[in-house]
Amino acid sequence: MNDQNFDNKNTSFSYLESRPLHIGASVPRLDAYEKVTGKEKYAADYYGENLVWAGVKRAGVPHAVLRGIDFSSAVKVPGIVRVLTHEDITGSNRQGVIRKDQPVLVNDKARHCGDAIALVLADNKESLKEALDLIVCDFEPLPGVFDSEQGLRNGAALVHEDNADGNRLLKGEIKTGSGSDAYKECDVIVEACFQTQSQEHAYLETEAGWARLLANGKLEIVCSTQTPFRDRMEVAEALGLDPTLVRIIAPYPGGAFGGKDGVTVQTLLGLAALHSGGRPVKMWWNREESFVSGTKRHAALMYYQLGAKADGTLHFLDVRLYFDTGPYDHLGGVVLTLALEHAGGPYRIPNAQLTGWAVYTNNPIGGAFRGFGVTQVTAAVEQVMDMLAQKLGMDPVKLRLKNATKRGDRSCVGKTMVCSNGLVECLETLSKHDLWKQADDWKSSAGPFKRRGVGIAAAMQGSGYGPVVPDYANAKVELTSDGKIRVYCGVVDMGQGNASTNLQIAGSILGQESGQMELVLPDTDRTLPSGSASASRCTYTFGNALIGAAETLKQRILQRAADLFMASGPHEMALIPGSVRHLPTGREVPLFRLVKFFQDSERIAVHHFRAPVAADNIGVSPEIKLHGLPHTLFSFGACLAAVEVDELTGAAEVKRFLAVSDCGKVLNPQIYQQQIHGGIAQGLGYALSEKLEVEKGRILTTGFSTYIIPTASDVPEIDSIAVEIYEPTGPFGLKGVGEIATNGPLPAVANAVADALGIRVFESPLTAERILEAFASNGRQESSI
Amino acid sequence: MKIAFRLNGKQIHIDAAPDRRVVDVLREDLGMTGTKESCAAGDCGACTILVDGESRLSCLMLAVQLEDRDITTIEGIAEGEQLHPVQNAFVEHGAVQCGFCTPGMVLASVDLLNRNSAPSRDQIREGLSGNLCRCTGYQMIVDAVEAAAEELRDRQES
Amino acid sequence: MRQVSLPRTLGELWAVLQRQPHSAVYAGGTDLFVKIRDGQLNPESLVCLERLTELQGVQDNGDELFIGAATTHSKLIVAESVREHLRVLVKAASVLGSPPIRHMGTIGGNIVTASPAGDTLPALYVLSAEVEIRHCEGSKRIPINEFIIGPGTVDLAKGEILAGVWLRKHQGWNLSHYEKIGRRKAQACAIASMAAVLELTETGKVKRARLAWGSVGPTVITSEGVENALIGEQLSLEVLKNAGTMLDKAISPIYDIRAGADYRRMVSKAMLLRLNDYACGTTY
Repeated sequence: MNDQNFDNKNTSFSYLESRPLHIGASVPRLDAYEKVTGKEKYAADYYGENLVWAGVKRAGVPHAVLRGIDFSSAVKVPGIVRVLTHEDITGSNRQGVIRKDQPVLVNDKARHCGDAIALVLADNKESLKEALDLIVCDFEPLPGVFDSEQGLRNGAALVHEDNADGNRLLKGEIKTGSGSDAYKECDVIVEACFQTQSQEHAYLETEAGWARLLANGKLEIVCSTQTPFRDRMEVAEALGLDPTLVRIIAPYPGGAFGGKDGVTVQTLLGLAALHSGGRPVKMWWNREESFVSGTKRHAALMYYQLGAKADGTLHFLDVRLYFDTGPYDHLGGVVLTLALEHAGGPYRIPNAQLTGWAVYTNNPIGGAFRGFGVTQVTAAVEQVMDMLAQKLGMDPVKLRLKNATKRGDRSCVGKTMVCSNGLVECLETLSKHDLWKQADDWKSSAGPFKRRGVGIAAAMQGSGYGPVVPDYANAKVELTSDGKIRVYCGVVDMGQGNASTNLQIAGSILGQESGQMELVLPDTDRTLPSGSASASRCTYTFGNALIGAAETLKQRILQRAADLFMASGPHEMALIPGSVRHLPTGREVPLFRLVKFFQDSERIAVHHFRAPVAADNIGVSPEIKLHGLPHTLFSFGACLAAVEVDELTGAAEVKRFLAVSDCGKVLNPQIYQQQIHGGIAQGLGYALSEKLEVEKGRILTTGFSTYIIPTASDVPEIDSIAVEIYEPTGPFGLKGVGEIATNGPLPAVANAVADALGIRVFESPLTAERILEAFASNGRQESSI
Repeated sequence: MKIAFRLNGKQIHIDAAPDRRVVDVLREDLGMTGTKESCAAGDCGACTILVDGESRLSCLMLAVQLEDRDITTIEGIAEGEQLHPVQNAFVEHGAVQCGFCTPGMVLASVDLLNRNSAPSRDQIREGLSGNLCRCTGYQMIVDAVEAAAEELRDRQES
Repeated sequence: MRQVSLPRTLGELWAVLQRQPHSAVYAGGTDLFVKIRDGQLNPESLVCLERLTELQGVQDNGDELFIGAATTHSKLIVAESVREHLRVLVKAASVLGSPPIRHMGTIGGNIVTASPAGDTLPALYVLSAEVEIRHCEGSKRIPINEFIIGPGTVDLAKGEILAGVWLRKHQGWNLSHYEKIGRRKAQACAIASMAAVLELTETGKVKRARLAWGSVGPTVITSEGVENALIGEQLSLEVLKNAGTMLDKAISPIYDIRAGADYRRMVSKAMLLRLNDYACGTTY
């Protein structure tokens, strides 16, 4: 395994039954075969001869000055290769996407329990563990900040003394119309404060990687990542290396969901490989370390006021958001900005005052997580919408329909919605579904000690990077020397299926079946920079680039074949599986033969695509604009949860779930449904059971026996309907589907619980304990017991 | 110590510390990385293997316990290039996303169908409740197991 | 490296235990290995009971059943005699852990672990189980509630093992009920649980009753007060609610990562009300 050659790591599918690759068909995923047989090699699966195991000594304290590190006993453990500290780092020793404020190895103070203090290299796992336990950190404890509102107060302990804004990472303010003054013009106002929790990504493959330093000075890092190209730059800068000497190879991650959007093991592995004497190095965080050190969905505190006219026309929104970003920016500022942009949901609200703070604390790091700030605010706005509907005596679907944005309307931040918008279709489809039409019958047939409720929620999700940071992709397609079509994927497939979709796109354009296709997974030396696997952008941005590259290669193939047959032009030629046919004569030339007439430089076609950006000037600060506001492309959705609550225990069980989504045209219905189902399951875990217990910065739930994600028995049967509105800028009319489904479950479930019990639980997750407490203090008198 | 057992149909002998975890024996000593590790505490099912045909968690089993057992890992479930009906159904029915839970999920499904050849959807969900998946929402896994059950029943009949 | 012994006969087992008296004994390992990994335990050596056929399976000894300590939960819940006579135990063991945990974990392990949340324990308490302790020179039987002393603590001396559980077959219960409140539907650790066996007359009056709660005290909690409040009564919400008031003194729930003490208090009473579902005459 040590003689890894990544330069010819291509996946072919010739051993599978060859399948036609059509756009819109449920082609089974081409990565599935290797995965069901256990052959697929994840970053966690790299070992090799003479392997060095690398592990990290973590701070274990939330906030403390690091006065010294004593590793004198650790280095004496048999099998220890090296112990490294910040003194061994010659680069900036700083990481981060927007603001580089996170040390690779702490040099001044620990800012959360998961901070990395020292890196140990060992011959085996046993020695590694022993040595890590023997390292002693000399800490001078500091008072900590464990709450975002508290962090903003005068006199709060400072997480970063050098930050001019104290513990404020970012403050965003948006005012539209007459802002708060519109309060007076409303007939009805509802007001609420919502608290949503940190959420763990809980991917099955914890952070893992493998690295080696080659004799020629090249550092190869195989890692579970969403962001190989950004990782290369971050690793190089932090370690003081020439980025062209850093190669990031990105196999399929075993799940990511935003948690691998940025550096996890990469720089540490790079550092280890620089000091391992040429031996390959492996790092694989265990589950506890993944909990303690990995990023989380930001815990949020959200104050909402929503006002409307008597007829239900939304008129005014006032929102204050406090996002706990933990000790480092990571993507906290961007997450907050997305939250602000989506704070008013997918509705027309002419007057809004939106303010948000991303606050440094000594809690676990807040970061990217599917939904990316939208999940939190959707939970809030969709619940105040239901509260408003109740106060107005209006049907919750009708209230949403009345205020739903249509193309040409402005969103709550004043951005004109120019993309395709199927929100109305989503809501109408939902309202015609039996789960909604027969909701009353279903509710009234609850068994003993059960109460039933049906709740809905709508959502939108911006995709891409916003107006400033270029959202681009560079696709590369090759006609291989043996006549296959090889697609070089620049964007990681962390499970969402885009690698397979890429083959479908290229295969469809080039008229090839799966048997003629080959795939190269992201690799900074072989594939082209195409941004992160995030922001619902993968297939939109890369797919558009890929269409360009595949079309270019197609024209080249057809032209060369036409020349060969002395045809009047490429219009007489057609690509068919494995060959090109001259249509007038029926003569064919196989691709493996035709390619002999190509020079190597012609066999590869590349295409650059940059996603369109919003041109609106909505009067926000350049800083907020940099953080991504506003977007121009949105996916939409509406969902319904049918929930049964047990009066005796408070347990809420989702019996059925319906999701209607507008993600543009669907390229592969099976993969589309996977994304919707998976997003819903994560959203339901967020709604009901996933409770990260953090006590003074320390996580108490560091495993799957205490941090409760849904099992197969906890997820209901899901009905998912695609409202396929063609998006003109999308590849074959597509928009992103990666995130939209995650946003609806929490508010839909909360609305259903409110419908069932007549009480609302404002803090998530809606555990049985919280529901029963609210019910006991409120509704017991009217219950049957 | 020397330990003899059957692995994917072949009798093998290994030399391992008796307290070495079976998941480490498989992944590190034998290079069979199809068996995954995710929680190391029996909560997720990623390291599922079949021991004498029954699903077990290889993170909670020691090398010495392999002695005389018949072990099946994900690498041994297909017949050559011919996928096991459960594997085939997972591919066809969209039960695979990131794939890290998949080997364990496939083996748990095989165990489930050995016990109950015609499970209801609820029984499938319960039968797989020891195997966490964070990608799929389980629905298409349930579809796949339903389809595999039917396929296996058809084979039995013919 | 730890020595791990895999004795195949009791003779081998006694020899190992004599040689290595500080060994930790395990069968499924589903609990022990988690604790070793967490650093809660660090035994010098290990002895695995999984190959001891003498400790496996269910034996019918006339009026009694003997369930070997190393019988897995999966084997237990399909055993015909257990299904016929000890339905409450089947109900409890069926929701223990997850399928692979039930294939590995054993009834003996569940007892010796002595977690207040152990799923089989309330069932064994209401069925008046006796455990059999064996050592190289003999054996003894003691009631389960005397064997389990506290959380994680049992009355087992060095050189002794839990050999199995004795249960009377014909106990006459016609209502067997187990409810577990967890944080999710499957693979859940009990926040609170309740096992109940009742003998109802043909007219639905409670003739006899045995109830036990898990996770609301240091060990399984029983309450004669609750049982007496039910005896002689027709099952109804009123009666069950009234019986629940007797529970307050018996339980001493704690706050932990899974739930608060107040919640545990509320639901241990509320779970009683579920028995009203049986009031309409259907017993099972």
